[in-house]
Amino acid sequence: MGAHLGRRYVTETGTEPDPARKYEFDPQFGFPERNEREMVASQEQMNLAQLPLEQRDYCAQYLLKLMKCKRDNWPNFLACKHERHDWDYCEHQDYVMRMKEYERERRLQLRKKRVEAQAEAA
Amino acid sequence: MAGVGFRRWAQALSKGKGSGISALLSGCRAASGASKDGLPGPYPTTPDEKAAAAKKYNMRVEDYEPYPNNGEGYGDYPKLPDRSQHERDPWYQWDHPDLRRNWGEPMHWNFDMFIRNRVDTSPSPVSWSTMCKQLFGFIGFMLFMFYVGEKIPAYQPVAPKQYPYNNLYLERGGDPEKQPEEVKNYEI
Repeated sequence: MGAHLGRRYVTETGTEPDPARKYEFDPQFGFPERNEREMVASQEQMNLAQLPLEQRDYCAQYLLKLMKCKRDNWPNFLACKHERHDWDYCEHQDYVMRMKEYERERRLQLRKKRVEAQAEAA
Repeated sequence: MAGVGFRRWAQALSKGKGSGISALLSGCRAASGASKDGLPGPYPTTPDEKAAAAKKYNMRVEDYEPYPNNGEGYGDYPKLPDRSQHERDPWYQWDHPDLRRNWGEPMHWNFDMFIRNRVDTSPSPVSWSTMCKQLFGFIGFMLFMFYVGEKIPAYQPVAPKQYPYNNLYLERGGDPEKQPEEVKNYEI
């Protein structure tokens, strides 16, 4: 699952982003341009499929394709490997994006701390 | 029991003791019934009455202790210790094994409460104070740890999950008339 971050949690309590608080930096800060995430499945489609709320994320279109494949191929439960892989890969990319967001927030906090320290020293 | 009664009845009839109905009525009774002088009586005051009552209940005079005479209606019934049948020796050959009682033994006033299916007065394996300390110590420790976990949570180093359509405003029951707060999610 990754590096052991326990030490950072204990020693750098000021700069670790707190999951309870909202991230405070402007999303565009540091980027020349940023694309918005595209949502492919419509609300109506998700409603018709009766997806639970936690699954109505940016990978819902792959999940809907997977559900359709499973329903079409029942009882062959081994049939939808490709669709399942697509959905899993999308979720994996989503998780990696979350990790990157966290890291971005953390580095911006560190930068802020450095800037403040320099301003005080000066 | 019925067979013995029938035999006696037939013998009494053949011997001709009494006539007609009274012969029928002079059959034998089961030993479980109390005789008229075996029933409880008034509260004993003199030592003679106490000795008689103790004998009636098959108890030693030293052991016999009536209930206090305060109008509750116990009479001379003995006051036995409030120990349930659970505490009696399970390996002894009682006359009534499930009741753990011998024939003729004085019954507690609340005997039907103290049978083995009901109230159990057995001592606990450890003292009450130890049990309390252990239980409340554990509960207190768990509550303390939950509190610590609220203050210092453990979490994965990931940002919160991003949802479309203004964080699923309508799906979470938001008012369709009102304008939701704009949530833009970007790629990274």
